[in-house]
Amino acid sequence: MKFIAQSNITELLRALAAQAEVWAPRGLRGSGGAVMFERWRDDDQLDLEHFTSLSAKDLILPRTEKLFGFSYVFGGAPTGDASGSAPTGCLPGGRETIEIESAEPAPRTVLFGSRACDAKALTVLDALFNPPEGEAYGDPQYVGRRSTLSVITVACTTCDAACFCSSFENGTAEKAGSDLLLYPVEGGFLAEAVTDKGREIMSASGAGSGLVLFEESDQQLPKLAVTTIIDGLEGLEKQLPVIFEDLDFWQAITANCTSCGFCTYSCPTCHCFDIHDEMRGDREGERLRSWDACMFYLYTQETSGHNPRPTLAHRYRNRINHKFSYYPANQGKILCTGCGRCIRGCPVGLDIRAVLKAAADRAAADGKASDQAPGVNVNENDGQ
Amino acid sequence: MIDAIKNLLNEAELVLGWTATGAGGVAVPARFQTATEAEEAVFNSTCVHNLAVHLPRLKEMVVGIVAKPCDQRSVVELIAEHEVDADRVKVIEVDCQSMVDVKAVWRRFGFGATIEDNGPMLRINDEEVERNGLLLNKCHSCEDRNPALYDEIAAMSEKRGGAAGAGYHHLREQFDAMNIAERRAFWEEQYTRCIRCYACREACPMCYCRDVCIMQTREPHWIGGEVNAREAEMMQLIRVNHLAGRCTGCGECERACPMGIPLMLLMEEQNQIVEEMFGYRAGTDPEKKPPLLTFDIKADTWNKKNE
Repeated sequence: MKFIAQSNITELLRALAAQAEVWAPRGLRGSGGAVMFERWRDDDQLDLEHFTSLSAKDLILPRTEKLFGFSYVFGGAPTGDASGSAPTGCLPGGRETIEIESAEPAPRTVLFGSRACDAKALTVLDALFNPPEGEAYGDPQYVGRRSTLSVITVACTTCDAACFCSSFENGTAEKAGSDLLLYPVEGGFLAEAVTDKGREIMSASGAGSGLVLFEESDQQLPKLAVTTIIDGLEGLEKQLPVIFEDLDFWQAITANCTSCGFCTYSCPTCHCFDIHDEMRGDREGERLRSWDACMFYLYTQETSGHNPRPTLAHRYRNRINHKFSYYPANQGKILCTGCGRCIRGCPVGLDIRAVLKAAADRAAADGKASDQAPGVNVNENDGQ
Repeated sequence: MIDAIKNLLNEAELVLGWTATGAGGVAVPARFQTATEAEEAVFNSTCVHNLAVHLPRLKEMVVGIVAKPCDQRSVVELIAEHEVDADRVKVIEVDCQSMVDVKAVWRRFGFGATIEDNGPMLRINDEEVERNGLLLNKCHSCEDRNPALYDEIAAMSEKRGGAAGAGYHHLREQFDAMNIAERRAFWEEQYTRCIRCYACREACPMCYCRDVCIMQTREPHWIGGEVNAREAEMMQLIRVNHLAGRCTGCGECERACPMGIPLMLLMEEQNQIVEEMFGYRAGTDPEKKPPLLTFDIKADTWNKKNE
């Protein structure tokens, strides 16, 4: 197997940065010590030890992206305006056109230091935004970014008490979504190319500097971490509809939630957005797409004044149902990879694992779903 | 504590408190409605949350609340602003020995590390650690150890001690030493991280406008929908101003911020200005009128030195 020394990681990043935007986890100064995936610069310290506060979804679904720019162009003699002053709007009989400026194409991007759960999340989102040709419409912006993105994942040999990716089939050994996998070993990383993009990175990266970055090694693959395991996640697709109208349950579950949007914004698979126009003056503007969160009251506020999800309980119910029932039913994948970010960052300590277990128990207690699927069990494992 | 909650349940429909069911056994907010549920109640150094944030949402019932002295200031301010009815809130006073910055502990010892009180020390994963190095910022400068109001005293030790040594925000000194251009760069970097999750607002007991907040409304459209440093800064400055003379310094905005933006640097500064100008400390007297709610430029409390 190929091996790259720890001391050559910076060389690798330099080689990649010569051809693409490189993003990597970087510890931040200032308050709080949040770790984030950020645009890598040569003198940056990487932080591969801590979990990033946010996932890497910014790279394919940016927190704000420009769909297009527009400007109103006024021309010809103003009619119907006796004062003769400059036209300031849609004048009757006046000519008005709108010029559209397309968004920039996606740059080549490399994500370095992703975790298996982050990389897998890309494939979960692909099911909606980047479906196989001919099956459904893809999202052009997403597809553009996805096709120019390469993902270098560092496999997890440790985990923390919030991780639960081992609840899913491949756990920490998941390869989906990664182009190149790095396994931490003595003095560096063993490297395994998963896709052609990964093979290209391994073969081309040393070329510029003359250094050979990847060498043959007979080191053994390391033992990967095993996280807390929750059994029965697949069963929720059928169980959650059973307790849909049990609003007492959802009220009890959300009693301490303050309705902020961190769980959705930190989630690698939450993808809801808002499309909004922002004007610069009265003639120019941009149509933007920004993250939105189902935990906000305004998310479902209708123009009529009606809000179909008026309380926190309604909103949280939708969040859980979308992840574990609607999306699996519609897209065939659970909208969660067990990264644990929503657990680590929740200001009131709400643990989605406890919620899922309570939901399955409640559904079973209601007696309607007990014969359809087994309950959810949490098997604690603090990981190695 | 448990007995005090049970007692209070005779007159309150529910009591806001904590159980130790969070990761690593840390406290998480809980609601007690029966004596059996109350058996689960705890109070320890991880009860960081200010539960007064729930009061404006529970206006229709008589609510008991376990409140640290600093949390009580929020209760008082909510009463002073007539947002909650004094007759409907019953406070259980707790003897607070300062609170631990749980996130800081977890950054150092790993998420879910167990945190136990052990006198002046903390026991973290069976390791004895100095308490003072891991406290919430606000506890270093706590001036609220004499509670403003309470109905029940759950625990009261002889020494109402918190952390040793007064001080302010841990970035205060660094920030004060900066020139204007450096401060600008400092805040720009901080706001770059803002993702507009509004955890700062939702954790704030005084931010009870909630669903009609200027941060999100389109009418009026004072703040754009973009998630970027410019909008984040406008958002925060408006929020800070809206809390002038109302912020009790509980620090929940900064504690709740998952992106580690030091919001209390702003709040602390403004609270000081309000105290100097109006002689008003939010949340210390339920009978007093907050200065910016009087609309009276001739108010006696206005320190006219800047006139």
